[in-house]
Order: sequence, then C-alpha cells, then structure tokens
Amino acid sequence: MNVKSILIGAASMVLATAATAQERVAVITPYLAQPGTQFYIDGFEAAAEGRGWEVNVIDTAGDIAAVISRIEDAVTQNVDAIVINVDPAQVEAGLAMAADAGIPVVGMDAGMSPYVATNVTSNGYAMAAETAAYVVNRLNGQGNVVMFVFDPFPPVQIRGVIADAIFANTPDIEVIARVTPDVQDGGIADSRAQMEALLAANPEPGSISAVWAAWDQPALGALQAVEDAGRAGEGIVIVGMDANPQARDAIAAGGNFEASMAQDFEGIGAAAAEAVARLVSGETITAPVTYVPTRLITSANVAD
Amino acid sequence: MTLASHLRRYGTLLGFAAMVVFFALNLPDTFLTARNLLNVTQQVSMLAVVAFTMTVVMAMGDFDLSVGAMASLAGVVAATLFVAGWPVGLAIAAALGAGVLAGLLNGVLVSVLGILPFVATLGTMTVFGGLAFVVSDGRTIFGRDIPASFSGFARSALEAGDLRIPALTLVAVAVLAVIWVVLEQTPYGRRLYAIGGNIEAARLAGTRVVKLRLLAFCFTGLGAAIAGLMYASRVASANPTQGDGLMLDAIACVFLGMTMSEEGEPRVLGTLLGVLLLGLLDNGLTQMNVDSYIREVLVGTIIILAVASGRLGVFSRR
Amino acid sequence: MRELKISGLDKSYGPARVLRGVDLGLRAGEVHALMGENGAGKSTLIKVLAGIVPADAMRLTVDGAEHRLVTPDDAAALGLRFVHQELNIVPSLSVAENILLSRRTPRRLGFAVDWRAMKQRAGEALARFGATHIDPGARAGSLSTGDRMLTVLAGLVAADDTAPSVFVMDEPTAALTHAEAERLFAVIRELQARGAAILYVSHRMGEVVEIADRVTVLRDGAVALSCAMSQTSKEGIIAAMTGRDVADAYPARQTEPGQGAVLDVRDLAAGPASGVSFTLRPGEIIGLAGLEGSGQSEILRAILGDMPCSGTVRHEGRAGPRSAADAWLSGIAYVPRERRREGLMLSRAISHNVVLPHLSRLSLAGLWSRPRAERAEAEARGREVRLKCESIGQSAGTLSGGNQQKVVFARAIAGAPRLALLDEPTRGVDVGARADIYGMIRTLSGQGTAVVMASSDLPELIGLSDRILILRAGRQAGIVPAQGLGPARLLAMIYGDASVEAAA
Repeated sequence: MNVKSILIGAASMVLATAATAQERVAVITPYLAQPGTQFYIDGFEAAAEGRGWEVNVIDTAGDIAAVISRIEDAVTQNVDAIVINVDPAQVEAGLAMAADAGIPVVGMDAGMSPYVATNVTSNGYAMAAETAAYVVNRLNGQGNVVMFVFDPFPPVQIRGVIADAIFANTPDIEVIARVTPDVQDGGIADSRAQMEALLAANPEPGSISAVWAAWDQPALGALQAVEDAGRAGEGIVIVGMDANPQARDAIAAGGNFEASMAQDFEGIGAAAAEAVARLVSGETITAPVTYVPTRLITSANVAD
Repeated sequence: MTLASHLRRYGTLLGFAAMVVFFALNLPDTFLTARNLLNVTQQVSMLAVVAFTMTVVMAMGDFDLSVGAMASLAGVVAATLFVAGWPVGLAIAAALGAGVLAGLLNGVLVSVLGILPFVATLGTMTVFGGLAFVVSDGRTIFGRDIPASFSGFARSALEAGDLRIPALTLVAVAVLAVIWVVLEQTPYGRRLYAIGGNIEAARLAGTRVVKLRLLAFCFTGLGAAIAGLMYASRVASANPTQGDGLMLDAIACVFLGMTMSEEGEPRVLGTLLGVLLLGLLDNGLTQMNVDSYIREVLVGTIIILAVASGRLGVFSRR
Repeated sequence: MRELKISGLDKSYGPARVLRGVDLGLRAGEVHALMGENGAGKSTLIKVLAGIVPADAMRLTVDGAEHRLVTPDDAAALGLRFVHQELNIVPSLSVAENILLSRRTPRRLGFAVDWRAMKQRAGEALARFGATHIDPGARAGSLSTGDRMLTVLAGLVAADDTAPSVFVMDEPTAALTHAEAERLFAVIRELQARGAAILYVSHRMGEVVEIADRVTVLRDGAVALSCAMSQTSKEGIIAAMTGRDVADAYPARQTEPGQGAVLDVRDLAAGPASGVSFTLRPGEIIGLAGLEGSGQSEILRAILGDMPCSGTVRHEGRAGPRSAADAWLSGIAYVPRERRREGLMLSRAISHNVVLPHLSRLSLAGLWSRPRAERAEAEARGREVRLKCESIGQSAGTLSGGNQQKVVFARAIAGAPRLALLDEPTRGVDVGARADIYGMIRTLSGQGTAVVMASSDLPELIGLSDRILILRAGRQAGIVPAQGLGPARLLAMIYGDASVEAAA
C-alpha cells in the first residue's frame, strides 16, 4: 500500500534524524501559498540548513484555528523552537501552551505579543519616510501631492501618518487629496477611477505634481489613469511601496512610476533564524521587534 | 459473512486502528498520552460539532454546503455585537439565532420550495459568506474588541485529577450526546432516516416531511453557529472566512462514518470516528514532521479507500 | 427454426436448487406461457436463456441439432430476443435513435448522421407493428409506457436482417394500460403469424388464457404442468402453481357491514375524476373501477389529504385529513400503488418500514423511541400478514415482491385503522401472496375497517368489494353491487356498453 510506504519512509527519516539530536524547529503559517511567505520560509530554511537544524514547515491553508492545533502538536512533540507567521493575538491559546512548556516562539512579520520573544519584520515607519522624502526631494520641496492611504489596516495606517508628517513639514507642498480606495478587488481599479476624477478636476498641466501611495496597487492605478489621460508627459512623480513585480516592471519601464520600497523577505527569514539561534542557546532578546533593513527601488537598481 | 463483506463493514475501522498503532509505534513518548489525546479532542471539537449536525441533514439524504459560511457568519455577528457593546451572553444568543435563521432559510429553500440541496446551499453559502463580509466590513475583529470572558472560554478546562478536559471538548461531547439521542433514540430521528430511505414513501406513510426537513436544516445551522463561536473563541478573533474550511472536512467525516455503518447510512457515532481519524492523522503527521500537503493527499486517499472497501462487498454480492 | 428445445435444465445457487430437470419446448408460430409464483424459478430460467447465468446441466437443441448456450452472444446467435419489465430505452434520445441503437447509424459523407434515413428505417420498423402513431423523431422519454414497449420491440426487429426466431417477454404488460396491452397482443399475434416463437411470462391469468397456445407452470424449480392451453383452465393453472384449489381465491365475507358512515364523499373532483360521491359504512368495501388513469389513484390520494381536490370529504363526521400525516393520525391507512417508489424504504429494515407511521404511538410521550416495542409490533404484524423473512431487521429491499407488499400491509394494519385506502393492492404479486392479501383485506373489513380499493384486476374487484364505483369518461357513472356481477359485464359498464343504472 502506497500510503503506508510514504508513512514508513517519513517515519524512518524522522527516526534517523532524531537520533542525531539536532535542534528541531517548527515553522507554522496559514499563508504559505502567498508569494511573500514563501520568501520568508526560503530565507529561514537556508539559514537553518547552515546550522544543521531540522525544520518542519507546516501550512494550514488559511485556517487560523489549525495554527493553534499545530502549535500544540509541536509542543507535544517538544520541538526546540516555534516560528509563526500569523497574528499572535489570534493564536494565543497555542502560544500559552508553548510558554508553559518553555519553548521559545519567534514571529516572522507576525505582530507583537508577550508570548513572542521577538517579531522580525520591516520598519513600516522607515519605509514610508523614505518614499515620502523621495517625493519631496524630486519636487524640490514644491508642488501638489495626491496621497493614497488605508487607515483601517494598522500596518498601512502608520505609513500614512509618517508621510503626512513629512509633507506637512515642507511648507510649499500641498496635499490636495487623501484618498482611501476601495480594496475589494485589490485596489487598482478603484484607485484608477479616483485618480481619473482628480485629473479631471485638475486639468492644468502641473496642477498635480506627485502621487504618494501607501502600497503598490493604488500607485499602479494612478499610473494607468495618468497615462490614459495623456498626461504622462507632465512629469507627475508616482511612488508606491512593497515593490511587487508589477511595480518593478513599471519602474523599469522608466515612466511616471519612479520608486517603491522593497522588503527583504529572505532577510527576515534569515534574521528569524538568527533570533531562534540566540534563544535556543539560552540568550534572551530584549527588543520585542527586530527590524530588517529595506531598500528604495528606482530605475537605477530595479534590475538587480 | 464473507471476507469481502467484513472488509466492507470494518475496513475503515481497521484502517483507523492501523493508523493509531502506526503512530503509537513511531511516537512512543508523545502520541498515546492522555494529554495529547485530549488535545486532539480540543483541536477537532469545532469540526466535530459541524460534522455531527451535518449528519442530521445527511440522514435525510440531503446535505448542506453552507455550514462553513454559517460558522463564519456566526463568528462575525458575535464579534460585531461585542464591538457594539452588547453583553457577551446576548451577543452569543444573537449569533446562535443567526445560525438558526440561516438554517431555516436553507430549510425553506430545500423543503418548501423544493430546490435541490446542492443548488440551494451552494447559493446560500455565497449569500452567508457575503453577509459575513458585510457584517464585519471585511475586517478581522480581534484584540481588545473580543471580551476576555469570551476568548477565555476556549482556554478553560474541567480539571479532573491530573487531567484537564478542555471546555471545547466538553461542548463537542454535549452536541454529540444531543445528536445521538435525537437521531437514534427519538421518533424524529427515525423519521429522518425514513426520509433518507425514500422521501415519497415516508410522506405517504404519514411523515411530515416538510416540517421535519426544515427542522433538520435548523439543527445544522445551529450546529454551524456553535462551531463558529467555538472557533472565534479559540482564535480570539473573527473574520468573515474563518469557518469556511469546516464544510468539506465535515462532509468527509460523515462519508467516512457512512462506510462504517451496516447499510451505508450516516450515523453520528460513525461520524465521530471520521472526525477522530482526521484529527489524529493531522496530529500524528505534524509530530512526525510530514509535509502538510502530504496530509491532504492522505485524507483524500483514505476517503477513497474507505468508500472503495465499501464497494467490495457490493461486488461480492453480485 | 421449427422447435427450440431445452431438456434436463438444472441450476443451483449454493445449496439452493433453483431449477430441477426443467424441460421446455418453444415452437415456431406458438405463444408459450411460462407461469409460476415468485421464487418458482422463472427469472433464473430466463437468465439461463439469455446466457447471463450458466446452467449446471442443460441440453439445448434446435430442430434436433445440439447447440451451446453459455454467453449472451450465444443467445443472440440462436435468435433469442428479450423484452424485460424495465424497458431499456434512453429517454433523452429520439425514438429512431433508440430503435437503431445497436446498429450502425446511417451516415452522410461518412460521418454526419443521416437523420432522414434513420427516421425512415425506424418508421418502417414501427409500421411492422401497426405503430404508425409513434413519431420516430419524438423523444423516447415523452412516450407512454406502451409506446416505449413498442419502440423496444421495433428495436429488436430492426436490429437484425434475419428475423429473430424466439421472443422472450418478461411481464410485458405489468406497466401497460388496457389499450396498450391490447395493442401488444396484436403485435404478438403478428410476430406469431410470421413464424416466431414467443415465451410469455406473466402473472396475469386472463391475458395468458387469451393469447397463449401452450403453458408451462413451474413450482419450486420443477415443471408442475406443461400442456396445450386448450387442455387446461385458469383453475388448473392456479392449482398447478400453488398446489391448492382456486375456490378460496376470494374469501367470502364473514360479517355484515356495520351502521353509520365512516367516510362520506360528496362531489369530489381530483385529477381526471369528478362528481365522485359515496358513503362508506364500517366494514364495507367499495371498489373503484375504470380504465387505467381514470382517476382511481387520485381519488384515494384526495381522501388521504395528499392532493388538492374540490368537493367535501368527511371522515367519522369530521372534515377529512389535510395531509397524509393527518390521515394516519386519524386512523386512515394507505397502501400506495407503486410499492417500490411510494411504499417502501428499500434500504431500511422491515421493522422500520412497518412502524414508520406509528412511531409516536410506540414511543414514550412521542419523545423517546422504544426499539423493543417497535420490533415487537413489527413482528406481530408480520406474523399476521404471513410475512416470510429471515429477520424483521433485514432490509425490505431483500424481499420478494409479494413479501414487500405484505410489509406495506403490515404497516397499514398496525394502527388498527378505521379506514383503509388500497391502490392496486395485488399489483405484481404472485398468486400465493395474493391469496394472503385477500385474506387480510377480509380480516380488516371483518374488524370493522371500511375499505376503498382501486384495482385493474376486475375479478379481484368483484370478488372482494361489496359495491363497485364505476368511473367513465372522468365522471362517476354509478355504483353497482358486486354480488352477481361478472368481469365481462363490469368491463362493459366501464366502457359504457352496459347501463349502470339498470344494475344499481
């Protein structure tokens, strides 16, 4: 029977590897199918391989309650550390059990929690500051800016706040619209419609100098609107954030979409592995959040 | 009885036993411990509640694709009412009420209007899923919005000596007891099986088919709502899709249980075994570091093997 | 072919000897009836002829030359063709496609279906049976059962260039109306005239006597009687089938109907029937007679409360039931027409089938089932109806047709009903079980249960009923006493050839 032979094969692997007393780490995520997550895991696994750990990556296909269950199973199995990629507040039942068993938990872009030794992530404040500063500099501190923000979602809200502060600190920059697009379909379509309305309301060339978007989709929508309105030649500067593949293509094309921020997902994975190594060796980590540097992507480095 | 008919009747049970033995041998220190097994019962408790109440409609030969969406809806209804400042008890009652109403709608569509259950509940699945988004504004409600008394329930347990019997397990056991009594010990349950046997004959023999089917769908809606609340309590949050995955697993559990009953009918104790089979499989495979996608392959393979072993008996009878 | 002869046919399933030294001779131009109670071995014999089941021992000769019959292909090569109860047609295809299903479809340009040629050939095949009213282009599913039967027959004839020599027809009239059956008989005579041999299997004594030239009766797997029809009679055949006399076929009434009205129907219109009015006393049996589809079933369903109707129905002085559930609760029992589709839950235990309408009564306060009480009730009723089964817990689907019908009757009598509505109570039931059912109906009526019974078996209707309500052209033509009525006269009344009023 095939099922049995798979199980026996898996079992013999477990027994063989368990005998060498490696560190065993369970990485549990509900989101493995999402592209970003795969990069975290790749980075983590590469770093773990170098250290000779045995890593068990568990995907629960979107089921948060199953993440709790798998954390419990990992605790039962008595792993040396657990890495999660989900909001800790939602899986506290499992994390409490890990804490009782003295098993350290590291978050990978997860969120802060008393149960998480440290959460490894990108610095959203810094990212927003970098693109907002890019806009200010490109406009020589003067011009009308359209912002695309999304305050209901905390990680995006902080980006908007930072950009607000930087634009407010530049006297000759005026924010003429602060748009919250409908994100039901990903945000591109509605952002484009909103931008078209703004372009129609400001027909004078130069009346809109730049578009600052808190993530890439609205920036791409705005770009489509600008190009379709035949105003690509006005030098409207568009910036996004996260540097998704579509955004990178737009930046490489050399049009109005000039810059975005790339998170170092693999770096987050590697830094999470570093944190695990420190915890397993008995160190304590005082910083509840560990930031991994991000990088501004422009036409100069987009090909890298 | 021939070997084939034994295999038909007991094949799934043998497979279940073989799986337990296999994990016990490979995980000697952790698998067959009271703590781990109690943990598994907690892990499967939500699935169990949905699967038990799904057994009620499947006994009539119907089924309900909307249970997952109803579970999600109940979760966000309760959480939204928490945000609005409702007392915990009242919000829970409202969420359960929403489940019953949702089940009633399914019942009306299937029983009164005579729409095929597959079509009707496929439709309501989408409707309830959409309502869950409307109610919650598409957001995950979590953190301070969820009262500690609500999220604490899933972490509480009944202390019995050294053992901690999780509260969620107790809820599932209570639902099991109720459904077992209803299906096996009451005239109502016997009538449901009669409807499953031949709906036309049951009606002509004096069974109030329309009313009974309505009630059965309400049961399933209530069960889905209970499971949705258990889920929300366990993850201390509610989002509009979190219960959706329960539906397919629940149907799979009932099917597994059906292969264990003499006449291939959905029986709630068979469903229980189906639930435990899936739960122990997840637990054991995680502990053995088996890839989570292999689990999906195994679950599908097990269902097919179980049903195929049921067919063996059919061939031998020819 | 002049004669296909089988001799010394033996067949056992394990220890059960199903056929024992059976001889059977089928001659060209002859209709040969094969009769026997359910379980006598008829089906097995047919399966052997079809090459589906191998015989343990058998000698088969055609005009003296020995042949082998082990596979369905052998059967086809011998010119054997089969018409079963369940008609093998594809409802979604056209009549023409069904007729030519097993043949190469006529083509145009080598690939396109030549619809015109197809319809023409199908039409020719149908015309051979005088079935010119069937449109070869119609969807087979839209045809009546009788026309489907003709379609199947046309298919059997059209499938060969050489004429088939032996037709085996298994209960071909079971689902046909009177007129359709008559048309089938004409077709059989046509086939006969062309030199085909026909093996005709049926429970219906009347039609067997009408069309068969020879008859062979099986009892317990052996030939109990085989002779020319002219040398025997209905009584002789029944005696051979059952091993007992026909005299007690319709047990006589033991008690007189009581006083008062159990059921009062006024100007009821349901389905095709209207203007139905009658009053029924306790213990009285009224028969509903009419051509197939005259509304007999609908009248019963309307009294049951399971069908919309106009007019008034009063049961025991109160308004009639509003649903089947109401009806059973108020002491009305119902035996539906199609026991497999409307009567039984075939996959469920016999006991469950019996007690279904009585679950509340057998439980504690309607809330807690008492399986032991249910079982005891089912066993007691099973004994009363002389049900033959290994266990009351076995599924109803494992029983023979006659025993399945007894399960439906056991359910009906379990509530000691005040009124019983019986729709074709002996349809597709073998002679032995039929006698048991007649006994049950008499017992019921003897206990004061009023009975409304619809049946297309006229002798049965006359033998059991006190009065017969005649439906003609969608109206109640009258009610006549059954005493002294003959089937021929009753049929004449149904057709309107004899006056009902004169008899009443």
